[in-house]
Amino acid sequence: MESAPVETDGQTDAKRDGTKKFTLGPNDSLEGKLTYGGSMTVDGGHAEGEFRIGGNIEIGNGTVVKALLEASNVTIKGEVEGKLTARDKLTLGKSAKLNGDVQVKRLQIEDGATLNGYVRMGDFEQQAGS
Amino acid sequence: MSSRPAARRPTPPAADEPPRESSPTPNQPNSVQLGPRDRLIGQLYIEGDLRVGGVIEGEVEATGDVEIDDMANVKASLAGRDVSIHGHVNGAVVARKRLIVGRSGSLIGDVRVARLVIQDGASFSGKVSMGAGADKPVKAPEAPSAPVAPPKPEVQAVVEAVFEAPARVAEPTVVPPPVAKPAPGKPSITRLPATRVAVPPARPASKDGKGKTVPPKGKPKRR
Repeated sequence: MESAPVETDGQTDAKRDGTKKFTLGPNDSLEGKLTYGGSMTVDGGHAEGEFRIGGNIEIGNGTVVKALLEASNVTIKGEVEGKLTARDKLTLGKSAKLNGDVQVKRLQIEDGATLNGYVRMGDFEQQAGS
Repeated sequence: MSSRPAARRPTPPAADEPPRESSPTPNQPNSVQLGPRDRLIGQLYIEGDLRVGGVIEGEVEATGDVEIDDMANVKASLAGRDVSIHGHVNGAVVARKRLIVGRSGSLIGDVRVARLVIQDGASFSGKVSMGAGADKPVKAPEAPSAPVAPPKPEVQAVVEAVFEAPARVAEPTVVPPPVAKPAPGKPSITRLPATRVAVPPARPASKDGKGKTVPPKGKPKRR
């Protein structure tokens, strides 16, 4: 709403911050290990394995992901099963379901989200010590 | 154990607390408030809401909502319907309905809740159990806690004791809750095993009896 909302589509959105973007659509599927410097979005697709992402991960509504996830910011609106590490922040949306242990620096959980697992919070340097 | 520090405390809570203006009627849910300078060490069970601004150590259970304010420092297990945490809490939390950890809140401890909200900025470490898996365990404690309702006089006594005579608090608070809580729960539990347990002892007894009676029977046969 601020500048020109009409022009900012999904495509320009990826270019805006200059980072690469990996998107899985409803008909896409990924199984295996992925190490990726940009950001990742899973929206309706199927994803299973181990994803280490330099940027952010977003799991869209209605998506089921079974994977070990590691990223800076992780936003979950769908279902995730597996260990999760957010170097910066983990956000669980209203419709999110997360089953697995979580290591985060910051955590936000919206009402309605479901979480089962251990949560560890704090700086990651301390993580090795403790 | 930890009753002495509480006993040493002067009586400021009694003087400060206005909630007792109207004598607490057993039917009306009461609300208990511990201010920033108040302190509780021990076990507390309350029928109603609890709001904490000071220090708590021990065990706290409320049938209503529990609110931990910014300045509060709690080293206790908390149980309540809606639990909201804005201060420091170190201990397990059970929220029958919803747990909210505010942006100024910090919680270290395992959590069993029906719904969970953690605001950005909050700090939390521990195990979370909720959803389908937690629903049954969460509802299960409610059944035992329902029978807890009857001993209202005891509960009232506890609450009043906290405010009226903090010097005596140590003993009354520590003693009644264990009596009030386990009493409704344990009898139902122990009665079931009791009937079952009663059988095995009977057997050894009969065995003993046989063991003693057998020799006389055997001896005549041998002789």
